Amino acid sequence: MSRGWLLWLLVGLVVLDLAFLALPTLVVLIASFTPGTIIAFPPEGLSLRWYAALLDRPDFLRALWRSLLVGLVCTALAVPIGTLAALALARFRLRGGTALQVYLLLPFTIPLVVSGIGLMLVFGQLGWLGRVWPVGVAACVINLPFMIWAVAAAVNHLDPDLENAAQSLGAPPTHAFVTVTLPAVMPGIVTGALVMFILAVNEFLVSLMLVDARTVTLPVLVYNAIRSIITPDLAAVSAVYVGLALVAILLLDRLVGLDIFLRSRKS
Amino acid sequence: MSRSPGLRVLDALEGVRATLWPRPLAPLTPWAFLVPALLLTGLLVAALVPLADASLRQLDRATFRLDESWSLANYAAVLARPVYGVMALRTLGGALIVTAVTLLLAFPYAWLMVRTARPALRRLLLISLFLPFFIGQVVRAYGWLVVLGQQGLANSLLAALGLPPLTILYTFPGVLVGLVQYMLPFAVLMLAPALTAVPEEVELASAGLGATPLRTLWRVVLPLARPGLVAAGVVVFTLTLTDFAMPEIMGGGTNDFIASAVYDAFFQLGDPGLGGAIAILMTAVGSLAVGAVLALFGLGTLGYVEERR
Amino acid sequence: MALALSRRAVLATGTAMALAPWPRSVLAQDKPAELIVRAWGGVWVESLENGVSRPFTERTGIPVRHDLTEDNEIRPKIWAAVDQGRAPPIHVNWDTSTNATKSALRGVTEDLGDLANLADMLPAARPAGFDGVPLINMYSYVYVLAYRDEAFPDGPPDSWQIMLDPRFKGRVALYDDGIGFHPSAQIAGGGKFEDIPDNMEPAWEFIRKLKAQNPLLGEDPDFTSWFQNGEIDVACTILSNARAAKQSGIAVSWTVPKEGAKVDTDGMWIPKGLPENELFWAKEYVNFAMSQEAQQAWTSGLGLPGLRPGLTPPEDLVGDPAYPSSPEDFARLISVPTRILVEHESDWFQKFNEIMQG
Repeated sequence: MSRGWLLWLLVGLVVLDLAFLALPTLVVLIASFTPGTIIAFPPEGLSLRWYAALLDRPDFLRALWRSLLVGLVCTALAVPIGTLAALALARFRLRGGTALQVYLLLPFTIPLVVSGIGLMLVFGQLGWLGRVWPVGVAACVINLPFMIWAVAAAVNHLDPDLENAAQSLGAPPTHAFVTVTLPAVMPGIVTGALVMFILAVNEFLVSLMLVDARTVTLPVLVYNAIRSIITPDLAAVSAVYVGLALVAILLLDRLVGLDIFLRSRKS
Repeated sequence: MSRSPGLRVLDALEGVRATLWPRPLAPLTPWAFLVPALLLTGLLVAALVPLADASLRQLDRATFRLDESWSLANYAAVLARPVYGVMALRTLGGALIVTAVTLLLAFPYAWLMVRTARPALRRLLLISLFLPFFIGQVVRAYGWLVVLGQQGLANSLLAALGLPPLTILYTFPGVLVGLVQYMLPFAVLMLAPALTAVPEEVELASAGLGATPLRTLWRVVLPLARPGLVAAGVVVFTLTLTDFAMPEIMGGGTNDFIASAVYDAFFQLGDPGLGGAIAILMTAVGSLAVGAVLALFGLGTLGYVEERR
Repeated sequence: MALALSRRAVLATGTAMALAPWPRSVLAQDKPAELIVRAWGGVWVESLENGVSRPFTERTGIPVRHDLTEDNEIRPKIWAAVDQGRAPPIHVNWDTSTNATKSALRGVTEDLGDLANLADMLPAARPAGFDGVPLINMYSYVYVLAYRDEAFPDGPPDSWQIMLDPRFKGRVALYDDGIGFHPSAQIAGGGKFEDIPDNMEPAWEFIRKLKAQNPLLGEDPDFTSWFQNGEIDVACTILSNARAAKQSGIAVSWTVPKEGAKVDTDGMWIPKGLPENELFWAKEYVNFAMSQEAQQAWTSGLGLPGLRPGLTPPEDLVGDPAYPSSPEDFARLISVPTRILVEHESDWFQKFNEIMQG
């Protein structure tokens, strides 16, 4: 029997996925070139008016910079913390496994509105508010399961025998960890780091509670702006985001190869 | 014997480790690995404490402060209002549908991405996956408004084809469309590593033994990909269960999920007691659901590795 | 003639103030690097910028930054800051009188009784029921019945009942908590104003019927984009939003139906916990917002009657019942005392949600 219909179903679903994923992004990108004052599709012409308007908004640029900082703080925390936790969970039989999982999934089961208000109270007590880096800490807290899961998934590639072999050959634990374990889970680390960075750079609901006018991040600025008046400069902001993403992805592809998301380098 | 600089760094690290974490402590190593994550998540638990406390106090509308004394009045108020039950059920139903549809859509995407022999196709699939990620949920929702609105792209196309317009925006299905699109990349990213772990040879062997592709999929690939499916399912389910922005924007205000009830209590009504009570109940239900799923289907990608070998 | 005179008077006052805005001793106070004023976006922040903030900066040299965080969302932030003894995130809160009163009752607002321009304002500028002046009401506004011209070729609708017309199924919009609509619904549903808040059943019955019409619920900007994209035909929104939409070329008009429409006020207040010099300049800002010049420019931009006597109405709103200026105008409208709103409005929000989300 030919693989015919199942293959076509597969291809059909993937094409649907691609269109589905791209549609709102494309619409927003194209709308950003509208010459009018409203987000119109199709635009009644092409203009860079709203991009020029962005350059006139130093607050947008400063907010973008803060968002990048938030992304960096979040990723810098998430990579070591998430990787260690994932290794612990995936390599060792721990007592109370399910309870531990449920605890570590609290960031997903607590609504973000609640995390935002609660963290505002905690950070306020700690005297952390009014600065940008705590927003990065918050972004890391609420998305940490992504980092843990990405690395844990990559442990699939890790052959425990290899680690054991390294150790039985006399390699000290740290050597085995750095030369065997880390390279094996690297795809998970890269995936997790990228996801954490993206989510932190886009976080608005929790950040809304943690920033003020002097520390406002770009997504919060966009969120507040969208709820005031919807103008195409917001589409232009999104286009800038997509542009940055494209650069980052191409850079990553050039440096380590995008395949790293799927398999470890040695295989 | 001279050693390379890299090795000397490793030796130094090993020295630090040996001093700080001597052999007798080795059995505790996994817990040491976990402590930072437990502490970080502990910030959220600390964040819940004042809200749990608030949930036990009633708002006094003469001073707009919470009562000094504790009571269960807020919980009673939540349970006494059928609207919260309606919203909770809508959320739960929505989360189940979104999870099922997202997994169905994500699986072929992840499979093709992992299995294709063409690097160009894999690259296209990866980039298409990551790019929409960079447009946050709010702006993406507004993109949907342009596509699905009364005079939007979809209806212009339908009109050009002589078909009646579609009313999907500001309805419950409209919210689900937005959510599935938002969740799709997460699900693919959770599934892909699990599928990578399914050796291609197994699929080929199954086909070689005369199994139909459907049978191979059902009896070989899906069971082997189960950890990834559980992981993706749990992520999509919990994120949908607590989502706020998509139902708010794409639901037109009458299709709110339960997170909106929390938002409304805290911000619209200015009642942190009521908000805290809904929040605590929501977290408890969400955690119980996750615990049940993990107990039923195993720990997904997160479990102890040997389980799956 | 009277109009022209008062306009000239306005200009004259403005010039005088520009020359000698504040006594020397005032300017000697340490100036903060900036003042942060919370505002609503769109036409709201534009009017504030043009009418109050920019002239203020020109006089004092202090830049004003507008924080567009929602009024409801900034409130818990300010309350938490005051509770924890931190400096609040903003200097001046431009707020609904109802929300401002809640903050005042909680005791997180500074007293504004010593502001010089307060004496020139109408009595309604002072909140009732307080010993001091924890907030100042600045202008009135009406929740009008806005409609798309195309949908009403035979002239404006004369009753809120039009929202129940089957041809507007799925094409009616309200605020997502029903704010501004509950009292109108009470009258339109056959109830009495005197029964607010004790018996609101007529309002809820009307809103239940409206729920069957599949209304859209949103916030200020949603109404504009919905009208723009042809999603809705009728809405209950604040005059300023409808007027801004009309001014930007959308074919929208508004009316005060025969049942009346809710009239309310917005105000300004200053949160406790500011450093002394910042508090001083925040007060100067609020004081300036009450000046003849600022009131005229700010409220004209909004298309709303300021609570200062002698203001000139914008030309397009002269005689419009949605721009009340005389006691007779106000008599046509539905004015619920702030104290009742403070105590009961959140129950109305809940009831409204219950109907709409059910």
